[in-house]
Amino acid sequence: MRHLLSLILIFVAVNAAAATPEETVQAAFSKLAPQVKVDVVQESVIPGFYEAIIGSQFIYVSKDGRFVLDGSAIDANSQRDITEAARAKNRMASLKKITPDKRIIFAPANAKYAVTVFTDLDCPFCRRFHQQIEAYNAAGIAVEYVFMPLDIHPGADKKAEAVWCAIDRKQAFTAAMNGADPGTGTCANPVAETTRIAQSIGITGTPTMLAADGSKVAPQIALSPDKLIVELEHLANNPVASR
Amino acid sequence: MKLPVIAAFAFSLIVPLAQASDVSEAAARAAVQKLIKSTKIEAFEMSPVPGYYQAVVGSQLLYVSEDGRYILQGTLYDANAKLDLTAKRLASVNVAKLDAYPASKRITFAPKSKPKYKVTVFTDIDCGYCRKMHSHIAEYNDRGIEVDYLFFPRSGPNTPSFAKAVSVWCAKDQKQAFTAAKTGANPEPLQCDNPIAEEYQLGISVGVDGTPAVFAQDGSKIGGYLTPDQLEAQLERVAAEKPGA
Repeated sequence: MRHLLSLILIFVAVNAAAATPEETVQAAFSKLAPQVKVDVVQESVIPGFYEAIIGSQFIYVSKDGRFVLDGSAIDANSQRDITEAARAKNRMASLKKITPDKRIIFAPANAKYAVTVFTDLDCPFCRRFHQQIEAYNAAGIAVEYVFMPLDIHPGADKKAEAVWCAIDRKQAFTAAMNGADPGTGTCANPVAETTRIAQSIGITGTPTMLAADGSKVAPQIALSPDKLIVELEHLANNPVASR
Repeated sequence: MKLPVIAAFAFSLIVPLAQASDVSEAAARAAVQKLIKSTKIEAFEMSPVPGYYQAVVGSQLLYVSEDGRYILQGTLYDANAKLDLTAKRLASVNVAKLDAYPASKRITFAPKSKPKYKVTVFTDIDCGYCRKMHSHIAEYNDRGIEVDYLFFPRSGPNTPSFAKAVSVWCAKDQKQAFTAAKTGANPEPLQCDNPIAEEYQLGISVGVDGTPAVFAQDGSKIGGYLTPDQLEAQLERVAAEKPGA
């Protein structure tokens, strides 16, 4: 009798071990939301949980497949959002495809930090942001602009192309940000490509700032050089827990 | 002879575990407190997830790993039972707050016979879906559903919507004034002692973030605007879930 029981227990254990993380996670979703298709399942720093990626969403599933947590996790030590850091890591791969030759870079001599800013020549907050470009540079921050003209600004894509194709690109960029019409220059340009990459990582508005680790910087911080330098120092000194 | 040995053994196991658990509970609790700063932790307890505590903070639930390192916020589901565990726990917090609010401070539209269900609805005179909801009031009542209204003027104190709620409360015939205001009539401006500010605070404390906000008797938030069919279906669902909870 006892042997039979332990045999059954072993059988159950083996059976449980046979399920891959993907199977466990997909099985949990099939009970809760059968239409959901899980793209990736990976180990998570959160004890007892896997990380399931569905599109640009991150959801935690307990390793036994019983509990599903749709939300975000904070590392109490660094007070940082682990879920956002995981999303940031995912964004990094896409961000790397936007090489320096596809950016318009305003950098000080000895930059301490670099940020990527998705921008649109006809967006008022993008213009306000660029008015402070010298202050960002003076604080040791290199600003690397990437074009993402929005559909709600008709003609902004043509302006971006004209700026890109100008003889002095940076000068044309600043002039356009101050309201000058850049004209209609054309040439090979990365505007469509960078716009597509931005959309693929869930960026929907401008200006959107990403720090070097891919994390999004909140607008009220991004728009203030003083707050931004504090934030970038904080990000650098408080790395988020990683696997 | 055997029993005391086992008992002693079990005891020796339990004691260190209990101590370890006390230490980790304190650490986990401290981690939550550090995150929410001066906000009060209303309850701190084991969560349904092994290795995690849960903290009730205002109208939210936080999950924290027993070492206090990781804090999770969001909605926790039990996939096997197909249950929203977060909503269930928050409902039990809300039910105490809602039950403590007296009938004398509600504007009640009840069926003629004994109601099958009661709902508490936070409402705003100037909200389109609240008006639409109230246009079905006879039908809710016909289906045995009592509707208890509390005011939640979304714009907050010292605004026209708030003043309208006060005026309706102070009217001689509250229900008649309520229904008239819900059909677009501007209530005659009146002042008197009223519970509108208290209701607004209660709404915030149970997590109302828009109107209408409909709560079932078990304290769970079941809508938004709901047609009579939808409201009845939701109430039946909540009633069916109750025994297992």
